[in-house]
Amino acid sequence: MMDAGRHPRIEILTLSEVVDVQGYVGNFQVRVRRKPRYVIEDLCTGCGACVEACVWKDRVPSEFEAGMGMRNAAYIPFPQAVPLKAVIDPHSCLWLVKGKCGKKCERACERGAIDFEMQETFLDLKVGVVILATGFDLTDDPSLARYGYGVYDNVIDGLQFERLSSAGGPTGGRILTKDGRVPKAIAFLHCIGSRDDEASEYCSRICCMYATKQAHLAREKTGGEVYQFYIDMRTAGKGYEEFYKRIQKEGVYFIRGKVADVVPDDGRLLVRAEDTLLGRLVEVPVDMVVLATAARPAKGSKELAQLFNVSLDKDGFFMEAHPKLRPVSTHTDGIFLAGCCQSPKDIPDTVAQASAAATRALVLLNQGQVEIEPTTARVIEARCSGCGECTLVCAYSAIEVVEGKARVNEALCKGCGTCAAACLAKAIVAQHFTDEELVAEITGIFERERVLA
Amino acid sequence: MNEPRIGVYVCHCGLNIAGTVDVEAVARYAARLPGVVVSRDYKYTCSDPGQEMIRRDIADFGLDRVVVAACSPRMHEPTFRRTLEAAGLNPYFLEMANIREQCAWVHPEEPETTRKAQELVAAAVRRVSLHQPLLPRGVPIEPAALVVGGGIAGIQAALDIADAGYQVYLVERQPTIGGKMAQLDKTFPTLDCST
Repeated sequence: MMDAGRHPRIEILTLSEVVDVQGYVGNFQVRVRRKPRYVIEDLCTGCGACVEACVWKDRVPSEFEAGMGMRNAAYIPFPQAVPLKAVIDPHSCLWLVKGKCGKKCERACERGAIDFEMQETFLDLKVGVVILATGFDLTDDPSLARYGYGVYDNVIDGLQFERLSSAGGPTGGRILTKDGRVPKAIAFLHCIGSRDDEASEYCSRICCMYATKQAHLAREKTGGEVYQFYIDMRTAGKGYEEFYKRIQKEGVYFIRGKVADVVPDDGRLLVRAEDTLLGRLVEVPVDMVVLATAARPAKGSKELAQLFNVSLDKDGFFMEAHPKLRPVSTHTDGIFLAGCCQSPKDIPDTVAQASAAATRALVLLNQGQVEIEPTTARVIEARCSGCGECTLVCAYSAIEVVEGKARVNEALCKGCGTCAAACLAKAIVAQHFTDEELVAEITGIFERERVLA
Repeated sequence: MNEPRIGVYVCHCGLNIAGTVDVEAVARYAARLPGVVVSRDYKYTCSDPGQEMIRRDIADFGLDRVVVAACSPRMHEPTFRRTLEAAGLNPYFLEMANIREQCAWVHPEEPETTRKAQELVAAAVRRVSLHQPLLPRGVPIEPAALVVGGGIAGIQAALDIADAGYQVYLVERQPTIGGKMAQLDKTFPTLDCST
C-alpha cells in the first residue's frame, strides 16, 4: 500500500469511479468521476484534528470495521490508510446533510484543508491498457437469516471476526461477544452462500482456510471450545493441509455436516446440524457463531462489464478469454483481469494473477504499437451516398459519416461484415470476404461432379 | 489478372483427418482443379518440414496462392500466414479448408467424409484465387495503464507496471486503497500480518 502511495508513476485516484470508456486497445479514453472528499488532499497532513473536533462522534458504523466499530462523520478510514487523508462523509456530516453544525472541524484544521464547497469533478484519462481488479463482496444471500445473521447478536461474518481479532480493531484484538464477554464456545459455519443449491453452486475457495485460521485465533485468544461445521475441507495450497492438521491438533472440533439453523437458547445460541460421519443430529450451544460467507461478485460488476465491454460468467464474475490458456485476458483486447473479480481466490493466487495481468499489459505497452488485422470493412467512396445505414448496424461503433461519406475506423472494425451486407449501394466491401469470394466458394462446393466427369 | 498458381496441401493430422478421410484422394482431386499447380498430402503440415515443403514449392513452382486443408484456421492460420510471408508472398494469399473440425471429426466414415473434404478444398481453391494482398496496420499504444480497484490485486498490478516505467492511474471507489486485505488480521497459512 505504502509503496503504491509513494510511487512517482502511480497516481492514486480515491473516491473515484469510471463512468465512461471509449476507444480500443492502445487508445482508451476513460472518464473518471471524482467524488468530493471535502478535504483538500494537498493540504491535509492526516493529523486527525478534524476527526477529534467532529461533533458527530462515534455515530456512524465504520466501513473499515465492517460495522463492528463506529466512526465520526469526519474520519480517517484506518491508521495506515493510503492516502492518509481525512474524509468527510456527506451522508452523516451534519453540515452537509442539514446545513446545521458549528463546523468545529473547519476551525480545528490549522492548514485550512476543509472545504465544504468541494464539488464532484471529472477527469479524462488516455491509457493504452486496462486492468480490472475490482475484487469481491461477501454474500448477503437471504439464506443468511437462517443462521441468525442480522437476527441475533453474536452471529457475525468472517470479515467481522477479522476486525474483532485485529489489534487495531474495535476491541483491541480481543474476541468478545456484543455484551463484552469472552465466549466459552464459538462455532464456525462453512459454505454459507456457496456450494448451496439455494444460493450459489460454486465453491468460494477461500472460506475453508480462513475459517480454519480464525478457529486457530479463536482458540488461542479465548481458550474456549471451537467448532468447525464443514461439508468438505478444501485445503489445496502450499502449506495449507499442514496448517489444517496443525489446527486439528490444537483441539478444534471439526464436525462434518452443514448447519441446518441457529436458534436462541437461554442467552446462548444453539447450532443444529447433522454429523454426517456419525450419522446423527447434533446440537451445540455456543456464545458466538461465525459464518464463513462466500465471496460473490462485487456490486457494480455488471455496470463495469458493460462500460468496458467484457463478459460476465454465470455467477457474475468477469469472464477470462480462455480458462486455461488466457486466464488474465478478456475478449476485449487490451483489458485484463486480476484477483477476485475473476473468481474467488486466496492472496497468493491473487498476487500471482495480478503480476500476470501486469505482464500481459506490459507486453502490449512495450510493443509500442498494436497490429490490426487488415480484414476490415472498406468504403468505396464513389458509391457511398452517406445514408448512414452502416453506422446503425455496426456493433463496434466503428463507422461514422464524415463529410457525406462513411468512414471506417480500422482499429475498431472487427471485419464482421454486417455493414457490407446492410449497404444497399454495395458501397462497403468486407475485405477478404467479398461477395465475389463467397460466391466463388459456393461454386467450388458444387463443381465436384463436373470436375470428376 | 494472370491465371493464379495454386499449391494445395492436404494434412493427415496424424490419424485425426487421415483416419476418416482418404487424404490421397482429396489431394488427387485438388490437382484437377483450375489453377492448381501442385497438390500434396502430408502427415503433419504444420510441422517444420511441412512448412518447409510449402516454402520450397512456392519457390520451385512459382506459386502465388496456397490452400492448406487441415484443422480450423483458429488453430494454424497464423502459422501458415507466416510460412507464406517467409517465402515472400503476401500472407493473405492463404486459404484454409477446415477438414478436421468441420469434416473428419464430425462425420463418421467414408466415402461421405472424403467427398465433403474434396468439396471444401475446391471451395477454398476457388476463393483463394480472388484474394487481394492485404497489409496489417500498426496503431500506436498510449504508454499508460488504468487499474480499476485498489485492493491487493490492483496494487500489485499497478506496482509492476509502474516499476516497468509506465504511468499508472489507480482508481478506487473508497477513500483509501487497501481493499479487503487491509481489513484482515492474520493471513493463512503463515499467520503473518496483512498490512
